This record gives sequence, structure tokens and C-alpha cells, in this order.
Amino acid sequence: MPVDSPPSFELPLIFNTLTTPELPSQECPRRARTQIDLLLLAIEALDLGGSEAMLAAARDLGLDKVIKGRVNLWLLRSTNPMRRYSQRQPMALDEAKALVAIIGNLARRLTVLVRQLLIGGQQLREKQLSFDHHLRLADYLTRFRTHFRARMNPGRAGVIAYSTDEKLDELAMQLLEQLLLCSGVLGTQRLWSSLFDGEVV
Amino acid sequence: MTVKRQYTLPYCNLMLEGLSADINNPLSPLTMLMNVECRLPGVTDITLTGGREFLDSLVMAVSRYGQQLLSGVPRPGVTAQTPPPLVDLKPGDGQYHHLIVRQQALEEPLTDANALAPLDVKLTTVQFYDLMEAVDQLLADTQTLPDLTAEFQTVSRRQVRPEEPIAKRAAPAALGAAALAAAGLALFFVPPPEFEPTRSNGEANTPAETAPAPVEAGTEPEDNSVEPTPKPVETEAEPEGNSAETTPAPVEVEAESSESSGDEANREEDATRDSDSVAGAEPVELPTIATKISDGDRIRALNQSLYDRLLDELAPISNTEALAYRVRLTEAGDVVGYEAISDAARNLAQETPIPSLVSTVSEADEQADFRVVFTETGVLEVSPWDGWPQ
Repeated sequence: MPVDSPPSFELPLIFNTLTTPELPSQECPRRARTQIDLLLLAIEALDLGGSEAMLAAARDLGLDKVIKGRVNLWLLRSTNPMRRYSQRQPMALDEAKALVAIIGNLARRLTVLVRQLLIGGQQLREKQLSFDHHLRLADYLTRFRTHFRARMNPGRAGVIAYSTDEKLDELAMQLLEQLLLCSGVLGTQRLWSSLFDGEVV
Repeated sequence: MTVKRQYTLPYCNLMLEGLSADINNPLSPLTMLMNVECRLPGVTDITLTGGREFLDSLVMAVSRYGQQLLSGVPRPGVTAQTPPPLVDLKPGDGQYHHLIVRQQALEEPLTDANALAPLDVKLTTVQFYDLMEAVDQLLADTQTLPDLTAEFQTVSRRQVRPEEPIAKRAAPAALGAAALAAAGLALFFVPPPEFEPTRSNGEANTPAETAPAPVEAGTEPEDNSVEPTPKPVETEAEPEGNSAETTPAPVEVEAESSESSGDEANREEDATRDSDSVAGAEPVELPTIATKISDGDRIRALNQSLYDRLLDELAPISNTEALAYRVRLTEAGDVVGYEAISDAARNLAQETPIPSLVSTVSEADEQADFRVVFTETGVLEVSPWDGWPQ
């Protein structure tokens, strides 16, 4: 079928599946900003080239118009209030949609690894062994702790809660589970919807 | 024609059985759902079966619980009125999740007798993910049950259960209210700030009926009272200058606090009225007091009695500006004489009650001067000339 009009560059197709929630203000809520950045942090800890993969995924999904390169991505992630150099500027809902789409896309690619890590972690827990016994999992946890401590402001109340290794490992495992949950066919939509739990009017 | 659709994942096997709409097309959607089977290999040997009701309940429970895991915001539980759903998911100890299924015996109405105990299947996160993914694939599949689509419901702000108990949440508000109350109580004992009149409309605004001389009260009169230093005179002179703006000359007289000023006009009047001074009706220029009353209590008492006597006789005066007078009293409270501070005061002296109070007394007595002001708003102010005694 011939295409009469060029494809619209206004909004990528994936945005159609993510409905705009009825928020009191048209900005991304605080918890959503934190959650998006933490999930991206977990992806970076899983995949050494994670930050490059994010930009590549943005290009693949046709999100270049929203995520305009490395600095823009960094600025968006810095809207996380836990960040050391936290940006006070708000995150628009379209930008949040783009980041959620990237998370869903990367999580799908990492599904096999995430499953392995989670099953391994579950087995270690049942045997009451520490996560260090699983080489790949210990690697992920160490890298996540390093990333988290390097980038988050230790003075913030939200960050002080994760001052110990155990607490951070717990957070990392929780994020791993969430990454798995948003890797499915409807995972991106589920993640998007979950970001606004308790925020919509 | 019976059609089977299967969604297979490592830990979950979801199978739907039903009648196809188009016999010739194997990809046509199901028109009638006959049976749903959900096996969880590696988890349990039990096969969960049911009809459309079971499927709807499973989809709903999985969707809600999946979102709860992602957001961490618990959904409000079912109320007591509604019957418990066929399928429910609840968080368990540690990293486990509980799939609770209320199965009913086939082909039999549900009664208490044949109701089976609900099945409780313990799932790990990966196993739950497989269940959710099977459901999601079914939801995304437009060729099986097109009417069954994903619905994403976000928990609204009102439904969220507060994380902290009410007592803890109310504590900051209560603390604030208590602090406000304490501050209010403390400030209750602090006297209200006294109004200090500005130069332009000082005498018009002073509420003098209650306090004999608020003007002086505002300017710390306690310090200036005993010795008649130039300082109190200066403070007195401020409002005078105001009332006598049209005639600067008498102000000079007051400021020097002496009767021997170089004002010719005053002197002339003084000379002409000297003869009448026995009657005491006209304002005169007062000589320096030989012996002043130094007793503070006496001065206060004289001030009060003068104020009362003037108030008793006070009639409306046709003045457009404040009229100030210097009234001299003896120790006994008799009015020796008075002096008008301004021309207007001199002209309107007869309208004031002062002339009627003047009586002849010997000069030898101890005397004191008082300042009497009739403001244009009809307020009477009386205060000691040299300021309030300590």
C-alpha cells in the first residue's frame, strides 16, 4: 500500500500504548522519576555497555526527538531527587514515556540474564547462602552498589536508608525482579501504569 | 470445531479450549470459551481449571498483583461485602507470592458442603512472571479472545492506605498547633505596642480621654519629670510646634520656658490684660514660678483634678486646630492663671472652660504648670508641663 504522507515525527508509535494519566500536574511525580532512574541504574549494572545501549535503544525506537543524546539523557536521569547533582527541573510525561519504553526494550533483551540471576538468587536464599556464591549475581550486586554510591547524594533521607551493603543488595534484587516484570509483552505498559500508583486523582 | 490455544512458558502452561467462529479458518478467534487449563510445571502438579469466570478472575488478579510488585503501592483489599474472587494473589514471606484459587466442584451449585478449601500455590518471582507473561500473551493476542484486552488501572490517591498511622502523621500538625497556642499565651502578657503619633497629626490621633496625656506617655516621661531640664521642654515643644504652625512666635516662648520672651504682641496683651487678671478670664503670660511643686504624687493628683474639672465644664469648641494652654495651679488646686500657646488658642480662650476656673490666690504658694490641649476632635488632654513626675 503506498504511503501518501510521511510518518509523523511528532510522537513515536510506542506512545500510543502509554496512556497519559490524570495527574494533578503535567509533570512526572517524584516516585516515578526515582523509579525510572533506579531501573536504568540496574540495567547499567547488568550490562557494561548499558548507557550506550540506552542511547541505541532510543534511536531504534525512534525516540531521538525526545531523548536528544547523552547530555539530555543524563539531565533527565538527574531529575531523580536522590541524585548527587539532582536537577530541580521537572520531567515531562513524554520524556518519562520515552525512558519507560527504553527500559522495557532493554529489559526484554536482558530477560535471559535476569531470569538466571533471579533463579540463582532464589536457590541461594533457600539454602541460606549469601549471594557471593553466585559469581554473576555477586558481580551485578557489586556493580550496582558502586554505581549507586557514586551517583546518589549520601545526605538525602532516601539514600541514607540504603547505607549498608545488605540494604543495597535488597534494593538491587528488587529492581532485578521489576526489570523481569517489565520485560514481557505488556511489560512496558505495566511499568508505565505502575509509576502513577497513588498519584492519579 | 474445537480449537485449542496454548501459551507455554517454562513455569506456566495456559491452555484455552473453545469453539472457533470459522471452521475453515484455523486462525479465527474463539467464539465460545469452553475450558481454561493452567498448569504450573515445576511448581505444583495440580491443574487449575475453570471457565470464563476463572479466566477473568485470573487476569484481574495477575494484572493487579504485577502492578503492585512494580510500584510497591498496595492495592486496597476487597471489602467484606463483595465475595472473594476466584483467584487472588498475595505477597508471602520473603520473596514468595501466594496464588490463592477457590475451586468449585464442576457441574454442582456452590454450597457450603461441597466448597473446597482454597488452593494456595507458592510462587517465586520468576514463576509469577511466567504466569503473568502467559496472561499478557493471551491479552495481547487478538486472535483468541479479542474481547479480552489488557486494562491498566492505576491506584488513585484516595485509595492509597497511608504508610504511617494517623497518630504519627498528626504529630507535626499537633506540634505546630501547640507551638502556636504557647506563643499566643506568651504574647498575651506582652503589652500591646504603644502608638507613637507622627508629627503631622499627632494630637488628632491621640486617644486622650482615658489616659490624661498619651503624648507624654509615649516619650518616656518618667525620666524627664523631676528636674525641669531643657529636654522635657523639647519633647513638649514638638506637639506645640504643630499646633502653633501658623504662629511660630509663641512657640519660642514655650521652648525657652520663660515668660520674659521678646514677643511684642504677647507683651502688649500682657500689659493690657494685667488689670483684668484679677477676674482671670483672659489668658495671660505667666511669670516664672517662684517655688515649684516637687512632690510627684501631688502633681499627679492636681493633674487629675484639673482634668476632671475641665471635663465637667467642657462644651463643644469651634476650633479647627488643637488649642494648647499652659495652666498654672497652686498646691491647693486653684487655677492661678493660664497662657495661650497659639493665636487660635488665645482667640478661642473664652470658649474653653479654663477662664471659669481661674481664681485669685496669693503668689507665695507652691505652684505647678499644666499643659491643657483641646484637640479639634474634641478630645481633652491634660499633662504636667514639665513632664510626668517619677
